[in-house]
Amino acid sequence: MNALEVTDIHKSFSVPTVRLDTVREHILKGFKLRKHFRKYRELKVLRGISFTVNSGETVGIMGRNASGKSTLLKIISGIYQPERGAVYCEMPITPILDLGMGWNPELDAIDNIYLLGTVMGLTLRELKTAKDEILEFAGLQEFSRLELKHYSSGMAMRLAYSVAFRAVRGLLILDEVFAVGDMEFKERCYKRYEEIHQAGYTVLLVSHNPLEIERFCDRAILLDGGKIVQKGSSQEIAHAYVQSLTSVKTS
Amino acid sequence: MKIEKTKTMNNKNSAHLPGLIWTIIRTDFKTRYHGTLGGYLWALAKPLSMFAVLYAVFSVIFSMDPNYNLNLIIGLFLWDFFSEATKTGFLSLQAKTFLLTKTKFPPWIVVLTSASNALITVSIFSVAVCTYIFVFRRPLSLLEISCFVFYVFLFSLIIIGISLAASVLFLRYRDINQIWELLLQAGFFFTPIIYPLNIVPHKFHFYLYMWLPTAVIQFSRSVLVKGEIPTITAHIMLLSGTAVVLFAGTALYRLLAPRSLERL
Repeated sequence: MNALEVTDIHKSFSVPTVRLDTVREHILKGFKLRKHFRKYRELKVLRGISFTVNSGETVGIMGRNASGKSTLLKIISGIYQPERGAVYCEMPITPILDLGMGWNPELDAIDNIYLLGTVMGLTLRELKTAKDEILEFAGLQEFSRLELKHYSSGMAMRLAYSVAFRAVRGLLILDEVFAVGDMEFKERCYKRYEEIHQAGYTVLLVSHNPLEIERFCDRAILLDGGKIVQKGSSQEIAHAYVQSLTSVKTS
Repeated sequence: MKIEKTKTMNNKNSAHLPGLIWTIIRTDFKTRYHGTLGGYLWALAKPLSMFAVLYAVFSVIFSMDPNYNLNLIIGLFLWDFFSEATKTGFLSLQAKTFLLTKTKFPPWIVVLTSASNALITVSIFSVAVCTYIFVFRRPLSLLEISCFVFYVFLFSLIIIGISLAASVLFLRYRDINQIWELLLQAGFFFTPIIYPLNIVPHKFHFYLYMWLPTAVIQFSRSVLVKGEIPTITAHIMLLSGTAVVLFAGTALYRLLAPRSLERL
């Protein structure tokens, strides 16, 4: 049974060659000659992406920087709108993207847990019972009332990770999140991820690390220039990704 | 070319939304006033100090009006509500970039909750001013209090309409909030806050009332200070103006919002 169906997704961004962001700039533009008017460059980020993910399956996505991985995940999450194509998902989605940026530094850890937790779909009742567990997983109980501006980036990331893993619903989308914390915390995260996987959640995992893709994914896809260039087993794709990097270096 | 939207269960799941709205309001309040009463008093200090200065200067000029001080403070607090709430509304989406780019939830919640701090301030003021009038001036009827609450409600809808449009426009035109601040400065003197409306020739009153804050402030003064309920026609005009602003703001927001998050 398909949990996620992505059909012919296209996305491009209009990138101005000269960026105009203010009313003043737009008015001044009117006084200039036509040849000086702002020109746009069409940046095609995704070109006809189609794939499916079965219920309970983990699919990896690999690709070099600027291959369209993060844009694809934002479209699947509903943050960006596709230009063409469709995304169908029969279950709620938990996207875990840009973990390090989801905080209000003026608030303490508990308030941030409530803020990020409700944004990620947890109710206040769920958060009230889960907050101690979240702090314990992050190993930050004694800093629960400390404002986040006093946290190190590693501590903030651990907290973010703990909230996100508590908020998991039907389809979990992970964008480069295993690059968090020290080895001990990373192992704890791997273990938590395996529990989630065994519980039957469907996962879409983006990573640059071939070992993670091989370890956690049932199969994978390789993106390049906004297109799927290869689909296959996680081992095949991890190998192809490493080869594509090597060939770029060699050439 | 067929364009289809993303269809996921996330669009239907709304059980967490009341908790989300409450959490955003609570944390915004806490961030702004550091969760202390002393911090919160700063919010009241601005319109109160403005009142003290203006009252000292203009009570001499308008000494023949025995209700001048009451009219002035009602006008100032309602104007402060409008001014603060719309200014926050302009920056509301930008200020919550860290949440909006994180996961899918309706961005209008952020715009709606941006007015919460100003609404709390005006609510506290409303209770204080009604109590003062009741104790020192005259007993207020339930109808008069209900009318005043209704005007504040309509004012909130006007603010939401402006904020919805402004929040998405700001992401396209990053200096539009400065233009709005200039308009607010002009609007403060255009609205009869520090001067009584009756010093303006009657033929210009219609134009003053077309600027909706004038209508809300004058109607509020009328029910609270004089105990006079404005006419049905006046209410219909205020309701129509509110509907137009809310509809226009919502329409512009719906048009521009889907791709606005790409500009954050």
